[in-house]
Amino acid sequence: MLHKRIYQFLIIYFLGLSALFIVKYSLELSDYVIPSPAEVWSAARQYFFSFFINSVNTLCVAILGHMISICLATAVAIIGSKTNWIGSFIKIGAYNIQAYPIVAVAPIIFILFGDGLSSRLLITAMICYFPLLLSFIGVFSEPVAHIEHFYNSTGQMTWWLPIKIRLFENISKLITVISGSATVAMVGTIVAEFIAADAGIGYRIRIALYQSDLAKILVALFLIGICTSLYLFVLEYSGTRIKKKLDIPAEGSQ
Amino acid sequence: MKTKIALLMLSATLAAVWLSSPLAYCRDRNPHKITYRLKWILNTSSAGDIYADAAGYFAQNGLDVQIRPGGPERDPIKELELGRAEFGVASADQIIRALSKGADIVVVYQLFQINPLQWIYRPDKTLIENPRDLMGKTIGITHGGIDENIMKALLAKSGIKLSEVELYSVRYDFTPFYQARVDLWPIYRNAQGPVIGARLEEAGEKIAYFNPDKHGIHTVANSVITSGKILRTRPELVDQFIHALHRGWEAAMEPSNTEKTIAMIYQADKNTPAETIKKQLELTRAFVKPYAQIPIGAIDASAWRQTEKIMTDQKLIDKPVGIDQFLRGTFVNAKKPQR
Repeated sequence: MLHKRIYQFLIIYFLGLSALFIVKYSLELSDYVIPSPAEVWSAARQYFFSFFINSVNTLCVAILGHMISICLATAVAIIGSKTNWIGSFIKIGAYNIQAYPIVAVAPIIFILFGDGLSSRLLITAMICYFPLLLSFIGVFSEPVAHIEHFYNSTGQMTWWLPIKIRLFENISKLITVISGSATVAMVGTIVAEFIAADAGIGYRIRIALYQSDLAKILVALFLIGICTSLYLFVLEYSGTRIKKKLDIPAEGSQ
Repeated sequence: MKTKIALLMLSATLAAVWLSSPLAYCRDRNPHKITYRLKWILNTSSAGDIYADAAGYFAQNGLDVQIRPGGPERDPIKELELGRAEFGVASADQIIRALSKGADIVVVYQLFQINPLQWIYRPDKTLIENPRDLMGKTIGITHGGIDENIMKALLAKSGIKLSEVELYSVRYDFTPFYQARVDLWPIYRNAQGPVIGARLEEAGEKIAYFNPDKHGIHTVANSVITSGKILRTRPELVDQFIHALHRGWEAAMEPSNTEKTIAMIYQADKNTPAETIKKQLELTRAFVKPYAQIPIGAIDASAWRQTEKIMTDQKLIDKPVGIDQFLRGTFVNAKKPQR
């Protein structure tokens, strides 16, 4: 599974790179606009290790931010799925907060948390959690009628039981959503590093942008792709294990 | 067979994407229309550009000039090379870096005779009388930006090691400076100074500016560029454009035209109050025409050479580009008075 993800990424990356070189040589553009293959190779040799460390740094923050988002989205979705006033308030509040552009909120985040790890984490979580929240609210608000009816009829229904039933019945969907949102977590972390950090691969890309150094950016994109593929693999593998443990058939099988 | 069909479809898709892309047509632009891509948004730093356009100087020279605002993601040098613009404004570090990578560009006009990049600080908390006073201070720099190079050059010239100061990575947001977590913050004195300064003064804070130019670091800020190809094949176009632009800058910097210039800038930048524009214009005048005997737009070759040396010393370029051969303005090598 891992090697499949990696080679799929490599095909896309090198196709994109080839397209860039075709544009460069067909329009006779200088190395300033699009770097030559030799320059990209030179940048890779020079910066691969330091960028790799930065990418791992970003990946760690992305994973942590992703986990925070999952917890946050689960909590908000559970409370929001209840038809009481607090649930409705939290749901609307969550939608409103998501509507604000992060760049505009960044100064407030700076004042409250400075420009270190906590700001990166918060921004990552803010960007990542909304797609999760939408799916989670959908799952936790939708009754599994044929099972919940039994517990309602027998008077055994508790506050917590519908959540457990809906979670179990939709576990495949939730795993897919969580895996899919890993990419958003990575993007969210990079955005955070752009605007509120002095570490991570997003910060390195920002410096490279200031220097109009596309070769460095291409090296960074390569490493981001590899790190994202690795994280997606881990999530998908964990999902498969969980489903196997719960005896849920894999998607596509009978 | 399936592989062949897949490859065929992929090729067809790539061809369709390419043909629908502006890149495919970017070299066939209407020759009568001129695009002038600025480095930043329209504000007082582009007073002469705005004036030349609003007063009809470009039209009088037979040019239909479209002035387009710039920004961090809009690189005028790339626009020139891609054929999307005929003229642009770029900073010296951008230009030298592009030349080191083979870009075909030339400098035809220098907008600022003194670089307006300075550092704002609070004199009652941070006393800075000479560069040695920077020791132990927290200094804001934009990693990868020209201010980083200027500050590092100044520290090296003053015999201060990087370990003897704390360099703080800055962004567009001034919060760390407002919170006094950073002692010195880089700003463009003419454009940002009146805005940030006024805000701090309203809060009862004293402010001062640290100017590297006064301590021997003479670098170049914004200059007008065009492609070498345009200069070779359409020299009359460059002449017409620079002539109109020069008239615009001369008029905008003329004190008797102040009210008219402010009104023109305000039309282009309605977010800035006229009172602020007035302060910005006074300061801009001091950077664009600091000496009576030096004409506006003169290219300060010695400052270009120093900028090139700073970039070479800091290994931002592999080797000197020989900047003199790319300075093609009307007034190059004008002798600058002693500062």
